[in-house]
Amino acid sequence: MNCKEAIPLMHDYLDGELKAAQMALLKEHLLACLACRKHFQQLERAGALLGAMPRVAAPDSLTDRIMQSLPAPPKRSAWKTWIRRHPAATAAAVFMAVMLSSFATMWSSDNELTVKGSDLDQVVIRGNTVYVPPGSTVKGNLIVENGKIQVDGNIEGNLVVIDGSYVLASTAKISGQVTKINQAFEWLWYKMNDFWSRLSR
Amino acid sequence: MKEMETRLAKLAKGGDRRAFAELVELYKDKIYHLAYRMLHNAQEAEDVVQETFLKLYANLHRFDESQKFSTWIYRIGTNLCIDRLRKRKANYSLDADVSEGDGNDWHTMLASDGRTPEEELLLSETQRLIRRAIDALPEKYRSAVILRYLHDLSLQEIGEILDMPVTTVKTRVHRGREYLRRRLEKESLL
Repeated sequence: MNCKEAIPLMHDYLDGELKAAQMALLKEHLLACLACRKHFQQLERAGALLGAMPRVAAPDSLTDRIMQSLPAPPKRSAWKTWIRRHPAATAAAVFMAVMLSSFATMWSSDNELTVKGSDLDQVVIRGNTVYVPPGSTVKGNLIVENGKIQVDGNIEGNLVVIDGSYVLASTAKISGQVTKINQAFEWLWYKMNDFWSRLSR
Repeated sequence: MKEMETRLAKLAKGGDRRAFAELVELYKDKIYHLAYRMLHNAQEAEDVVQETFLKLYANLHRFDESQKFSTWIYRIGTNLCIDRLRKRKANYSLDADVSEGDGNDWHTMLASDGRTPEEELLLSETQRLIRRAIDALPEKYRSAVILRYLHDLSLQEIGEILDMPVTTVKTRVHRGREYLRRRLEKESLL
């Protein structure tokens, strides 16, 4: 073995990659060659000096800083977990929400005077007041929403007043019932009854 | 050790933050040591550690249990260091030696500014010379030599970290070692 061949073997040896057979050859050469022995010792010592460099440690606060800088975990919110656990209740709640919101929109959109009846020819409307003049006769039910009604004549049926008021003159004759609905709840109840009665019809 | 890291990584992957904090505790010093020796700048080394863990966290879902955890984290850390060295080079063309023969360039001078880890303040004169020799190593030998000697990793593992064939790593370690030998001999340290 010559010196040129020996040097790569020295490196292999230092990296723990030299096979036993080659190790014997290298050893033999190093015993014979002073220059290579010196070269080998220098390489070994350079490595040892490098490996002896003190380990530098990160500041203690770094772990906390790293943990704080992490993006928030994709946390499932409490209600999402609840939904996952109670699918039937969720479906019921969604149904109720849709129902209520549709009622709510119906209710809030009814701010204008509405008059419903089968015989509105006999009715006079001025502003938000509905008059049934003296001597006239309304055949069938009369429903007034968001307004006043003054009855001087006859109604051959029921009178329903929603979110409004009514005045009955002494001449007024109503063959059916007079119903007044003011609160949202009553109104809702009324609407639902109406809804179910219409369905059952 | 290996099993524990894999288990922690698995837990962290499942959203366990405490497991991740344990991984940080286990590896922050190692990555800091690597980054400080590569960059020789305390602030940058801290930044690299932080970026390494952020990247690791963002890629936890890709963690493959058959892979060695340490290889994975060293690869992220080493790449971040190499990126920074390249950026330095691009930002200032300061590679020219300040004074001939000394092997010091502007990087070394810039890098020695700023905060210093406690351990560094206590370096002996010999250690200071070795540190400067490391800083003077050409970049492509530096990472291989640091991983080999300061982290005690095998050529095989260094190859996986640097994503290059073992034969290339071998060449780099050999040349780096020869470079250091010559330099330290000149300093009469050998």
